[in-house]
Amino acid sequence: MKQKEFIATVLPFKDKLYRLAKRILVSGDEADDAVQEVYLKLWKGRNKISNYKNPEAFAVTMTKNYCLDRLKSKQASNLKIVHNNFQTSENVERKIEANDGVQLVFKIMETLPEQQRIVLQLRDVEQFEFAEIAKMLDSNETAVRVNLSRARKTVREELIKKHNYGIS
Amino acid sequence: MELARIEKLLDAYFEGNTSLAEEETLRKYFSQNEVAPHLAAYKPMFDGLTLAKQEVSVKEIDLPQQQFKVKRWWYGVAASVVIAIGVAGFVFSEPKLSQEEQEALIAFQKTREAMQMMSQNFNEGAEELTYISTFTQTKNKILK
Repeated sequence: MKQKEFIATVLPFKDKLYRLAKRILVSGDEADDAVQEVYLKLWKGRNKISNYKNPEAFAVTMTKNYCLDRLKSKQASNLKIVHNNFQTSENVERKIEANDGVQLVFKIMETLPEQQRIVLQLRDVEQFEFAEIAKMLDSNETAVRVNLSRARKTVREELIKKHNYGIS
Repeated sequence: MELARIEKLLDAYFEGNTSLAEEETLRKYFSQNEVAPHLAAYKPMFDGLTLAKQEVSVKEIDLPQQQFKVKRWWYGVAASVVIAIGVAGFVFSEPKLSQEEQEALIAFQKTREAMQMMSQNFNEGAEELTYISTFTQTKNKILK
């Protein structure tokens, strides 16, 4: 597979991978590194990539696994970094900062368990079908729905709590 | 009626039982500036999720340059062809003689012809001599 062909195949979902990586790793820099690593791996296996029915789903799975590994190794070496920079693109940054409620939603999402964060990202942000998500996560649709429901409910509860305190 | 539908969709949403189309309806509803007051608390959630999708990666992907792969067997084929051409040229090409050499060759052939003619004449002459030897024999018979 030529470089041009490879890029045409895998570049359209670069931003999706980046957002997923950032949802898991929180830091934008870490997410950039993760995406770079995933693309290198895809590049090395580029002759096989055309065999996969869905390169995007394959890349999402790779990104998820890579990011979870990163988290694990970081926790193992007690280097859990706490980043609050959930913004990279400047216009998005401004929009988030302009809205206390939205900012809060992003903060709440960071506190979710990883699996819930991933499911919420893939469904409510990237809008994948349940069947696709189940395949990406090597899980089943019921489990995906359960995780998603928990994630949504947690966000709702936290949001309503703050709302009732009159922050929003 | 519209509101009742949204409320119903919301309930299903939190149970994880909505389709993508239904979730789109919810996002659309909450993207309005005015939502029902008792649902206002949900607005940031849907706004946030919509906004999260607008985030893009600004860093370029750095791929290693693709190396130009020269297939090894090509070297062998190319070398064989060159050698074959060289040998064939050496074998099949006619030796080209210079003008001087050609003249020398013609002169040599003419000389040879002349020499052959001369030797032929000598041989004829030598045959004539056999008569003389016969004459000597007869003379000896008679004059013992």
